[in-house]
Parts: sequence; structure tokens; C-alpha cells
Amino acid sequence: MTVADAQAVLATIDDPEMPIDIVSLGIVVEVRARPAADSPASDIEVDITPTFVGCPALDMLRTQIESRLKSAGAARVRVRFINDPPWSVERISDGGREALRLHGVTVPARGLVRNLPSGLVPLTVSAREPIACPYCGSLSTRMESPFGPTRCRTIHYCDACRNQFEHMKPV
Amino acid sequence: MDVLPSELKNPLVDLLLSVADDKFILGHRNADWTGLAPMLEEDIAFSSLAQDDLAHAMALYEMVGGLLGKRGDDVAYGRTAAEYRCCTLVELHDEFDWAVAIARQFLCDHYEQLRLARLADSAYTPLRQLAARLLAEERLAIGHADQWVVRLGRGTPESRTRIQSALDRLAPLCGGLFEPTGGVAALESTGVFPKSGGDMFDSWSNAIQNVVENATLRITLARPAPDAAGGRGGKHSEAFAALLDELAEVYRTEPGAAW
Repeated sequence: MTVADAQAVLATIDDPEMPIDIVSLGIVVEVRARPAADSPASDIEVDITPTFVGCPALDMLRTQIESRLKSAGAARVRVRFINDPPWSVERISDGGREALRLHGVTVPARGLVRNLPSGLVPLTVSAREPIACPYCGSLSTRMESPFGPTRCRTIHYCDACRNQFEHMKPV
Repeated sequence: MDVLPSELKNPLVDLLLSVADDKFILGHRNADWTGLAPMLEEDIAFSSLAQDDLAHAMALYEMVGGLLGKRGDDVAYGRTAAEYRCCTLVELHDEFDWAVAIARQFLCDHYEQLRLARLADSAYTPLRQLAARLLAEERLAIGHADQWVVRLGRGTPESRTRIQSALDRLAPLCGGLFEPTGGVAALESTGVFPKSGGDMFDSWSNAIQNVVENATLRITLARPAPDAAGGRGGKHSEAFAALLDELAEVYRTEPGAAW
């Protein structure tokens, strides 16, 4: 198994809590392959930068990556959770953004997080950013709750089409 | 620095434990509100805050475990009360008084921001990287307690009386946040914990006073005595022993069990 083979397998693994594969989500940082000592297959090592330190899906993610790569022919699989580079919504691909939007989850505009002031960043920052409703496109939306169903999302409401939707936190 | 000089190991363990224990105990207290908060949104909010605090604590316990050759779980649960380094403010039982829970969160959040911001400049690479991640997440929650302090202060006569009395009760405990951990001078001089003392109290107290003023409340914050000895040295409140017994009850039934 080559690095490219392993990456192709990873691109078919969905995040446990969102309809987006882990490569598009941007949490796969590096994949390494080296010949296994005791078999013709390769050992694979995968570096993952979690969306949130407290993400409860990490154990599940590790298990999925290990089992999927092994059934695709890897000898040994090692998943490392790393803190550098830190994950950011900037790492989500364009295709990933579209997949999330179709599921009713919006993502802060590109460049927004990079341009946040370096001091205290209160929650109201994301409330000031105009967020287009993922269903009807209206900008008449407001934050309902800064705490959502997972650590990385907030809850919003569209006054135009009266749907609730979720927004990725500006990390 | 990627490798820690051996003489800095014990001071760093003490420092990491103070951060982790503050988060662990505060997270435990906040988790008490799951299902009982005054409204559904706050139920989710406090459960989320608790989840973050416990996860952050665990990441720090893993780092301590790496330095001591132990499992993170054993660091978290396998110590005596005197080996914990949390301050007495986080130990305080709120007895399900919402104003006390908000005031405690408010006072702790602002301190945690400042401490993590300094650690995110640490010369020790693994700590710098972890602290930067934790700080990015902390920043998302900072406004929450602030908004509640203002809301209660400007709310009804009852909410105002209760948040004021909570601030009055908690203010004398705040010095414990700033109590230095063992050997911190060596961490400061080597840049592992840059500006560990410095203007930390002034920055914190300014941030607190700004919000309290906006809430039309008042709080008296005294600069902590440099020789104060409390939670960071293992001297805890009476409530802590009971809290620890509850917290570690399952772990103690079979230490070393895999979950």
C-alpha cells in the first residue's frame, strides 16, 4: 500500500458526526507508509489534528481508520492525534463546505478566522458575521445558541424560511 | 525546546497539574448542572463547558503522564487530596445556586484565558502547541459568563441581589488562582511559563471590573499575598475531600481497569 492508496481509503471515511469525509474536513495532516518488517504489506501511520481537543468521536475515528486501512491491505496502522498544526475551519475543502451546506451546516467564510483579532474573541464575533441560510440563502439569520450538538457547532435560525441550521465555530 | 531539562520536570508537573486540576474540578462542578440548569440552552451550555474542561484536563494529564511514565487516567484519579493542585475557588460547592455557578465560571474563565495565553508562548514546544489549541477553544466561551453576569446584574431585584452576594462570597477566594506552583521561578526564567507573575493580576482584575461595572455591580479584588499557601500547595477546602471521594469512586473500585 502506497501513501496515495492510503489517502484514497481515508477519503472514503466519513466523520462520525457529520456527513463529510475526514480528508475534506481537513483533519488528516500526513500519511506515511513504510515496508512492514514481517510481511509484504506496508505499515501506515496517519497524523490527525482533531477539530476540538474534547471531541468525543476520536476513539471511534481511530478504530475506523485502523480497520478500513487494514482491510484495504495495510499491515500495521498507527493513528497519532497531534496539536500542530491546529485544525481550523480554513482546512475544510470547497467540496467539504458544499457537502456540509447541503446538510444544513454553514462554515465561516474563508479568511475570517485568520483575520480575527489576536486578543479576546467573544462569541458575539460569529453573531456579527452575516451568515447566509444554507436552505434559502437569506441573510436574515441569528444565533440561537452558542452551544450546539457538538463542540464545533453553534445553533442558528433563519427568519426568512424559518428553518434552524448549524454553523461551524470560527476556530 | 523539544526536550525538557530534567531539573524542570517537577516544576512543570506541578504547573500542568494546577491547570489540569482547576479544569477537572470546575468541569466536575459544572457537570452537576446537566439536566438541572434554569433553561434548556443553559443545560447545553454548562454541559458543553464541562465537556471542554474535562477534555482539556485529560490532555494535560496525558502530558503529565508522559513526563512521569504513568497513564493519564492514573494521574487524574489516582492521587490523594494533598497531591491535587487546584485552587479553592473551583472546589466551591454552588449548592445549585445559579448565581454562584455563573460567578465562579466568570472569575475562573478570565484567569484561564490569561494563563493559557502565556503558556501558548512557552519555550517548551509540546506545551506551546497544546496551550495554543486549548486557548483557541477557551476564547469561544469567554463571553458566555460575562453576558450572564450583566444579565443578572441588570435583571430583577432578586437576580441582582443574588449575583452581588455570589460575587461578595467568591471574591476573597480569588487570590488562590494566582498562588504560585512549586518551582515556578525556574519555569519563568527558562521561558517555559513566560511572565508567570508579571501583570497577570492587573489584567485579570481589569477585565473582571469592566464586566462587573457594566452589570452595575461591584467587587473588591485584593492583590494576593505572595506567601499565600492553599490549593496549589495541596491545602484544600473541606468540600474537596467529599468531592474527590465522589469523583474517584468508580476508579478506586479497580485502579488500572481498561474502559
